Amino acid sequence: MNTILQPILVSILAGCLVLIAPKRFRRVIEVFSLLTSMYLLVACVRIFNIAPLTGKFLYVDGLSRFIVLAIGFFGALISLYSLRFMAAYKEIGQYYANVIWTIGFSILAAVSNNIIVLLAAWGFLGFTLYMLINMGGPKTAPISKKTFIIIGGTDSLMLMGFALMWFITNDLMLSNMKIAIDSSVSFWAFLLIAMGALAKAGAMPFHTWIPDTAKEAPIPVTAFLPASLDKLLGIYLLARLVLNVFILDSHTYAILMVVGAVTIVAAVMMALVQHDFKKLLGYHAVSQVGYMVLGIGTGNPIGIAGGLFHMLNHAIYKCCLFLSGGNVEYKTKTSGLDSLGGLAKFMPVTFLTTLVASFAISGVPPFNGFFSKWMVYQGLIEKGKSGGTLWVFCIVAAMFGSALTLASFIKLLHAIFLGKSKNGIRNTNDGQRNEVSITMWLPPVILAGLCIAFGVFAYILPLKYLIGPAMPEGFHFIGTWPSLAATAFLVIGLVVGLAIYLCGNFKGVRETAPYIGGEEATKDMRLSGTEFYNTIKEMPLINAIYNKAEKKAFDIYEQGKRILFSFIRVFQFLHNGVLPTYLVWCLLGIMVLLFTLVR
Amino acid sequence: MTNHLLPLFVIIPLASAFVNSLLGKRIKGFSDIISSIATLFLAVISVYSVFLIKDSGMIVYKVGGWAPPIGISMVMDGLTSFMLVTVNVIAFFISIYSINYMEKYTEKWNFYCLFLLMIAGMNGVVISGDMFNLYVFLEIAAISSYALVAFGTEHEGLEASFKYAVMGTVASSFILLGIVFLYSFTSTLNMADMSMEIARKGASCIVLLASVLFLMGFGLKSALVPFHAWLPDAHPSAPAPISAMLSGVLIKSLGIYALIRIFFSVLGAEPKILSIMMVLGVLSMMVGVILAIGQWDLKRLLAYHSISQVGYIILGIGLGTPLGILGGLFHLLNHSVFKSLLFLNSGAVEYAVGTRDLEKMGGLREKMGVTANTSLIASMSIAGIPPFNGFWSKMIIIAACVEAGHFAFAFCAVIGSILTLASFMKVQRYAFFGELKSTLNQIKEAPFFMKLSMIVLAVICVAGGLLLLPDVSKVFLGPARDAVLAGSEYAKDVFAALR
Repeated sequence: MNTILQPILVSILAGCLVLIAPKRFRRVIEVFSLLTSMYLLVACVRIFNIAPLTGKFLYVDGLSRFIVLAIGFFGALISLYSLRFMAAYKEIGQYYANVIWTIGFSILAAVSNNIIVLLAAWGFLGFTLYMLINMGGPKTAPISKKTFIIIGGTDSLMLMGFALMWFITNDLMLSNMKIAIDSSVSFWAFLLIAMGALAKAGAMPFHTWIPDTAKEAPIPVTAFLPASLDKLLGIYLLARLVLNVFILDSHTYAILMVVGAVTIVAAVMMALVQHDFKKLLGYHAVSQVGYMVLGIGTGNPIGIAGGLFHMLNHAIYKCCLFLSGGNVEYKTKTSGLDSLGGLAKFMPVTFLTTLVASFAISGVPPFNGFFSKWMVYQGLIEKGKSGGTLWVFCIVAAMFGSALTLASFIKLLHAIFLGKSKNGIRNTNDGQRNEVSITMWLPPVILAGLCIAFGVFAYILPLKYLIGPAMPEGFHFIGTWPSLAATAFLVIGLVVGLAIYLCGNFKGVRETAPYIGGEEATKDMRLSGTEFYNTIKEMPLINAIYNKAEKKAFDIYEQGKRILFSFIRVFQFLHNGVLPTYLVWCLLGIMVLLFTLVR
Repeated sequence: MTNHLLPLFVIIPLASAFVNSLLGKRIKGFSDIISSIATLFLAVISVYSVFLIKDSGMIVYKVGGWAPPIGISMVMDGLTSFMLVTVNVIAFFISIYSINYMEKYTEKWNFYCLFLLMIAGMNGVVISGDMFNLYVFLEIAAISSYALVAFGTEHEGLEASFKYAVMGTVASSFILLGIVFLYSFTSTLNMADMSMEIARKGASCIVLLASVLFLMGFGLKSALVPFHAWLPDAHPSAPAPISAMLSGVLIKSLGIYALIRIFFSVLGAEPKILSIMMVLGVLSMMVGVILAIGQWDLKRLLAYHSISQVGYIILGIGLGTPLGILGGLFHLLNHSVFKSLLFLNSGAVEYAVGTRDLEKMGGLREKMGVTANTSLIASMSIAGIPPFNGFWSKMIIIAACVEAGHFAFAFCAVIGSILTLASFMKVQRYAFFGELKSTLNQIKEAPFFMKLSMIVLAVICVAGGLLLLPDVSKVFLGPARDAVLAGSEYAKDVFAALR
């Protein structure tokens, strides 16, 4: 018990301390927060090592243990990264307090067995997210508002779902529940809680906060919450519901699969046409949730394991991508793809981490993203064995999405690191160094290393220690991917290719200035990469959809607002401020009351 | 003799109002001190009364030594002491807030005088065991609140006060009419006696008619839709401490408490009346919040939220189940804390910026840290974000609705909660976050006493959830809930306590 409660209490107290510490002890606050997050990491490792536990309030099994470990890991990494990145921000105490609280309450949410505790921890995380987004200064105010309305709103729906669950089982302990979807009440209970989980993870239709947040909030915040922790928790809860709490029927699974498939394709299409790398990554953070939901929606062990593994992998590579992007932004003070270019030479470490993570997210073997996607596909095929046609569409959507992901990361890599920068000026020129300092490149390097390790040694490391114990009934592969052998072959292939290239007449390669239509190109004529996929954007039907999306026609928040304001106008019209009108209402009210009571 | 404590709740504010009007003008700072001391003392004895009730169950005081059916009585049970704590603790913080805030008005002693009269009225309503006395105290509180709304004597306040007075008087006369009907039916005015008499005579049309009149009258006092229209005018136009007082405690002690006391303890909670209460509650909840979200005037927005939150309270109480009543009462307490805090925040903003228009604010966080943070806490509380107090009571109300099988009401409560969050996000975004307007570069944070009371109320918002801990709730919320649930046992308890 104490192993679990101690870090949570420490995080609450440490957060309060950091919050009230005077601003002039900036260094102290930073170091103290870093130490706290390191302590929390250690505590998470300790929780990971305890035996499974079922208590009145706490519940630790393979699934929650591995989530807790991941929470501690990302928390420590982000605190390390923030040391330098957040140095330019005011209100540092508020930032670190919220980061520490987020870690503590995420742990609590992951290990709680009591639905009220879960709900409280979960709801508080929405608040810390709101405060963290607000760190971005005045321009983030509208975005934090939108985010919190979506997150807090779905939390309320979740509250209703939990209340229904309590109504059905008359119990507050998750571990005691086994609810079959046999009535509309249990169906709604599942759906409402799933809404909360999906909104946190960022699946459609509750996704719209993620791209906006990614664009404006400070990068460590985006990397910490929408990219990693919120995914971990959202998918954790969904998996928990599917694995332990509910016994779903095929219709409910179908809903999840459709949500997953639509999310994958729609979000990746949006990502394809972005001009800002943070927003592009934000859309991918939505798109990848689709795979996780799809995997869990298959309902078979391999699919769920794939969804969970993909969640972990996604947190790793997306965090890596955001932090690498943060390095670029830190050095160049911009996140617009149009004005970047040619940074590979100046920021080699960042380039490599981005490259690895891009391959991982696009599902290129032997990186981790490939492995988990492969497991999700297997889950879909397994699902296909039981008939139906939905799985075919889903698998097509997933593969199509994967291809488009690769396409959009080619664009990203080209626009930032390859190609030429605007006006041919190198834009990292801010002093002595080009690459960022160690506290900023170390976290992405660790994450990129994990991308490789989890892909190459998938069977030996993550599946054995993390995913395997999380799946109570175990899972089996229908097609094995010999990751080690395959990697060896890939490396051999690359080496051979390189040898051929070096032996051949590579010296004959020449570089020339661009030459267009018989005229010398001016310096600003370059291929920035942002226009790579304009052809897709200009296709007739797709163009219309993009235009609608630009106008936020698919944004549940904007549409809700529109409907609400039409109601408001009616009510405001009725409140005309004239006393006799109001008295007439009272009179009518009395008449109705009399009619209902005395009749 | 513990029961001599009871009249103090009326005597202290009345006496200090009197002394205030005599000396307040002559001695500078006198009215500040006397009203702070008086409200502090009231707060302390109200908290003390909670422990008394825990030991002795019910305390009855015979005014002038006359035994109840003939004489007037004052009765204190769990519900009463709960309400007394709510009213007097909030009143104390509002009183110290006024020390700085009311500086900008002339005739501060008049303000304190009316303020204390209002407290006397509210305490009287809560503690009275006699129907007609309840009406008299209700009028004392109501009339002083009419005057306080117009205290600024600006165009807006006067108009609002006029509307409020007219509608309030209509309500009061309906209440009086209801009391008259009951008196004609039972030949007694003592609540306990009346309750027994009604139980003996059985159901009658007269009781139903009186119920309708009470529902309307007290419904108007507690601003239930469709009787709410005075509130969005009256609450914003008053000076901020008074807005806080009106929204925080007046509508509750005059409206909700009286509804509970009369319908549960005197008339007996009939299922039909309870379902009407639930419907009115849901209606207020939705209409109030939808109107609130469209407002740009900060205080008006808050006022509409009072309608909506009263809806939650009435919904919880209308359920009639132990859980529902607990949720309703807890929400009543929480609402009075966070809503008075929000009004005090709006007062601090108005004090510094000089406007209530959200569009003219922005980025105040930079300049007014305390106000911004306390208002953030209060906003989170009212929006039902854990771990702040509003979350717990809303959760209980929603769970109670589900428990009773009213899924549609529970869902409305959830939607209302989402919209509440949305509108407070609007407040935070336009007032405190966002770009600092260049015109606001010179503003300063509110003075000491204003900050002090805001901070303490914010702390209560944060820690409020602890009241639900089993040991604490046994002392405070539990007896209040049991008193409501006791229903017609009330009468027997009163007579038992007399013996």
